[in-house]
Amino acid sequence: MSIQVQNLCKAYGALTVVPDVSFDVHEGEFISLLGPSGCGKTTTLRCIAGLEESSGGVIRIGDKVVSDPARGISVPSHGRDIGMVFQSYAIWPHMTVAENVAFPLRTRNAPKARIAEQVDRALSAVELAHLRDRYPSELSGGQQQRVALARAIVGRPSILLFDEPLSNLDAKLRESTRTEIRRIQKQLNVPSLYVTHDQEEALSMSDRVIVMDKGQIQQIGTPQELYRAPVNRFVADFVGKASFVDVVREGSGAWRTPDGTVLPGTLHSPEGTAHQLMLRPESLLLDPQHVASDNISVPGRVLSAQYLGAVTEYLVQALGGEVRVHSPIDLGTDQVVGLSFRSGDCRIVAR
Amino acid sequence: MSDTTTQPGVMSGSKAATALARKRDEFRYLRLATTVIVTLMVLTPILALVYGSFRTAAPGAPGEWTLRNYWALFSPGVVRTMGITLAVGLLTSALCIVIGTIITLIVHRTDFRYGKAVTMMVGLAFYFPSFILAMAWIIIGAPGGIWNVVLGTWLGLEWLRIDVYSLAGIVFVMVLHQVPFVYLTMRGPIMGMDGIYEEAARVAGAPPRRVLFKVTLPLLSFSLLSSFILTFIITIEQFAIPALLGIPAQVNMLATQLYLLVRFSPTDYGLAAAIGIALSVITGAAIWAQRRVTHSGRLTTVTGKTSRLNPIRLGRWHWLATLFCFGFIALGLVAPMLMLIYTSLIKWFNANPMQAAYTFQHYAAIFSSGSTMRSFSNTLIVSGVGAAFGVMLGLLTSYFTVRSTATRSRYLDFIATLPFGVPGIVLGLGLLWAYAYLPLPLYGTLTLIIVSFVTRYLPYATETIGGQMVQVDKSLEEAAWVSGATKAQGVRRILLPLVAPSIQGAYFLMFMAFFREISSAILLYTGATAVISISIWAFFEQANWGLASALSVIATLIIFVAMALITALYPAARRK
Ligand SMILES: Nc1ncnc2c1ncn2[C@@H]1O[C@H](COP(=O)(O)OP(=O)(O)O)[C@@H](O)[C@H]1O
Ligand SMILES: [Mg+2]
Repeated sequence: MSIQVQNLCKAYGALTVVPDVSFDVHEGEFISLLGPSGCGKTTTLRCIAGLEESSGGVIRIGDKVVSDPARGISVPSHGRDIGMVFQSYAIWPHMTVAENVAFPLRTRNAPKARIAEQVDRALSAVELAHLRDRYPSELSGGQQQRVALARAIVGRPSILLFDEPLSNLDAKLRESTRTEIRRIQKQLNVPSLYVTHDQEEALSMSDRVIVMDKGQIQQIGTPQELYRAPVNRFVADFVGKASFVDVVREGSGAWRTPDGTVLPGTLHSPEGTAHQLMLRPESLLLDPQHVASDNISVPGRVLSAQYLGAVTEYLVQALGGEVRVHSPIDLGTDQVVGLSFRSGDCRIVAR
Repeated sequence: MSDTTTQPGVMSGSKAATALARKRDEFRYLRLATTVIVTLMVLTPILALVYGSFRTAAPGAPGEWTLRNYWALFSPGVVRTMGITLAVGLLTSALCIVIGTIITLIVHRTDFRYGKAVTMMVGLAFYFPSFILAMAWIIIGAPGGIWNVVLGTWLGLEWLRIDVYSLAGIVFVMVLHQVPFVYLTMRGPIMGMDGIYEEAARVAGAPPRRVLFKVTLPLLSFSLLSSFILTFIITIEQFAIPALLGIPAQVNMLATQLYLLVRFSPTDYGLAAAIGIALSVITGAAIWAQRRVTHSGRLTTVTGKTSRLNPIRLGRWHWLATLFCFGFIALGLVAPMLMLIYTSLIKWFNANPMQAAYTFQHYAAIFSSGSTMRSFSNTLIVSGVGAAFGVMLGLLTSYFTVRSTATRSRYLDFIATLPFGVPGIVLGLGLLWAYAYLPLPLYGTLTLIIVSFVTRYLPYATETIGGQMVQVDKSLEEAAWVSGATKAQGVRRILLPLVAPSIQGAYFLMFMAFFREISSAILLYTGATAVISISIWAFFEQANWGLASALSVIATLIIFVAMALITALYPAARRK
C-alpha cells in the first residue's frame, strides 16, 4: 500500500489554498507534513481522507484512484479504507471506549467474534483495555487521544492519517506518545501521513518530512537532510534554530560576509541572486580567550545572554551580523569572544 | 509558475469539484423536499396576506385591486388601536422586566430560602394558558366579579372597586402572564454571570448595593434589553387577553381589531390583512432589533466557567422577598386556579362560597358531550402528531442549515425564522386567504390546524435543535465517515443520539404550545376541528362560565401533569 498525491489543488471559491502539491508515501513509510499554521496541511490531509472535495489533481491509495475531479472520480470517505486521528480526537461522547473502537468494524458489518477480538487487540496496543467500559468524559486528555488512535487502527486500514494529534497534550505526554504512535505504526506497517506544525515532532518521528509553506512544498527529505541541508532560508529557519548572515559571492567563488570574512568556495552554492550563510547555534564554539584553532575563527562581542539550563544561548555580534550560539561557558554581556566553526557545519542558502 | 496561468484551471477544477460534491450528496432530494415544504408552509400565508391586503373583497369573492386598505391604516380608529397596542406593549414589557428580574435576582443571587418552590411555580405559571388566566381574572375582577362583590358590595369599600375590562386590566393580566417568560430568559444570564466582575468590585471596596447597581445590572443590560424586546413582541402578538378583556370595553389592540374585522359584521378582510401586515412589520422590526442586540457580542457576561458567586444576604429583608415572590405566584397562578375550580363546581355563579350550590354537573356535561370529547381527541392529535411533524421538519431544517455553508442553506434558515415575525392570528388570516384560492381540500380539516401550528412554531424547533447541533463538532461525524459510515449512518449513529435531548425538548415545547394555542386557530376552526382551547373559548363566549371553568381545570391539569412527567424524564435523558 502507498499514498500518491499528484498535482493536488484545492480552492475555496476564488481562494486557492493549495495550488499544486505532489508527493508519495511509500509502503510502511511515516511521513510528516510540516509547516506553519494556515499553510494548507490540514486541507491536504482532508483531501486525501475525502473530507474535502479536491479541485484538481489525482490521489491514489494503493492502486486505486480515489480522487480525480477531472475524470469525475471521487470516492467518499467511507469507501477509502483509512484510519484517521483528528486534532480534537472526535471521540463520540455517547459511546463507551469499547463502542468507539468497535465502530469502524460494526459499520463494515464484521462478525461479532472478530469485532471483540480486534477491539481487544487495539485496546491493548494503546494500553486501554482496563478502561473499555468508561465514557470519554471520564478519561484524561491522553487517554482520549489513545482511544482515537485505537479507533483509527482497529480496522487495519490501508493508510493512516494524523492531524496534529498531540497538540492538545502537555509536553511530557507528547514525547512519550510520539514513540507510542511510531511503535504501533511500525507494527502495522501502514503508510502514514502525519500533519504537524512542531518541527521537533516531525524530526523525531518521521522517515521523511515534507516542509510546506503557503500551500507549496518547500522540501522533501529525511530529518537529517532537512536539518543539515535545507534548500532555502524558510526551511532552514523553520526546522531547528539558525542564524543568518548576508554573504556575497566573490569572483573567485569564495563567499564574503559584510565584515570581510572570507569563506571557502567549496560550500554548496544554491540558485538565486541573494544568499545568506546559515549557522546552527550548537555548531559554533565560543572561546573567551580568543584562541585560534584550525576551524574558521572570527572575533565577536556578546550582546545578550539567555540561560537555558544545559547551555546558555548568547546573541553574539560577529561576521557583520548577529549570531546565536549555544555554549556551556558563562560569559558577561559586552565581553569580547572568539567564535569558531567548521566549514562543513555552515551552509549557504538562498534568501 | 505564475498565478495567472494556473488560475483558469483552478476555477474550472473547483467548479467540477462542486458539481461532483453535489452529485455525491446523499441527502440531495431530502434537502430539496425540506426546502420546498418549508417554503410553501411559510410563504403561502404571507403572500396570501399581502395579496389580500390589496383586494377590496373577502377571500374568494370577486373584487378589485386597491390601496384603500393601506390608507385605512391611517384612519383615526386604526391609529388609536396602534397607539393602544404600542402603549400596552411598552408598559407591559417594562413592568415585566422589573418584576421578572427582581424575582430572578431573589431566587438565583440571594440566600432566599424558597428558591426551588418559586422556580417550580413560576415554571407552572409559564405554561398556564393566557386565555384561561384572562377568564379567571374576569371572574375575579369584572364589575360583578368576586372582588367587587366582596369588597364593594359587602364591605362597602367602594374605592377599592376594580374593572378588569380596561386598559389597566389588560396590562395587569399581560404582566401576570409574561413575567415567567422574563424569568426564564433572564435566568441563564444571571446564573451564568462570571462572579469575577462582582468580586473585583467588592475587593475594590464597593458595598453590595453599589455592586448590584454599578456592576451586576450594567453587565446584564444587553440581556435585559433583549428580554425587553422579546416581551414586547409576545405582548403585542397576544390575542386572547386583549380579546377577552378589551373588546367589551372597546379597548382594541391590533390583533383584536383584526379579529373583529374578520369575525363580526361589517367584515373587512382587506383591512384586516393590512392590519396584519402592519403588526408583522412592527414585530419583524422588533425581532431585527433584538437580533442586533444579541449579536452585538456584548452578552459576554456568560463565560460558562463560572467562579462561584457569593449569594447576597437578604437578612431582615427576607420577608419582603418572600412576599414579593409568593405575591406574584398568588396573583398569577394560585388565585386564578382556585377561582376556576370554584366556578367549575357551582351551579350558578355566586360570589359567596357559603351560599353556592355545589355540583359536578359541568364535569359530567363535558364527559358526556360528544363535541367536547371530540375537541379532546382533536387536541391530542394536533399536539401529538403535529409536534412530531414539526420536530421532524425542524430537525431537517436545522441539519441543512447548520451543516452547510452554502447560500441555499442561508435561504432555508431565513425562511424558517420568518414565522417569528408573524403573530398567530395574522398567520391564521393568511391561511384563510390562501385556502380560499388554493385547490387543496384543506379548509375545515385538522391538517390545516396542524399546518398553521407547525408553521407558527417551526422556529421553536429549529432554534432548540439547531442550537444543540452547532455544538456537536463536525469532526464527530467526519470521524464516523472515515470509519466507514455513510452520511446517513453518521447522522443516525452519531448526530441524532447527541442531539436527542434537544429533539425531546423541542417536542415538549411544541406539544405544550400546540395544546395551549388559540390565536392561530381562532379564525380557522370549524365545528369538526375545534380543539380544547377553542371549546373553552366558545363556552365562555356563550357566558357558560361553569363549563368553561371545568374544561379549563381539566386542560390545565393535563398541561401540568405532562410538564411534570417530562421534566422528570428530560434531565434523565441527558445522561452525561
Ligand atoms: N472551508 C474553508 N473555506 C475557506 N478557507 C478555508 C477553509 N478551510 C481552510 N481555509 C483556509 O485555508 C488555509 C489553510 O488551512 P489549513 O489547511 O487548515 O491550514 P493548516 O496548515 O494550519 O492545517 C487557511 O488560510 C484557511 O483560512
Ligand atoms: Mg491544521
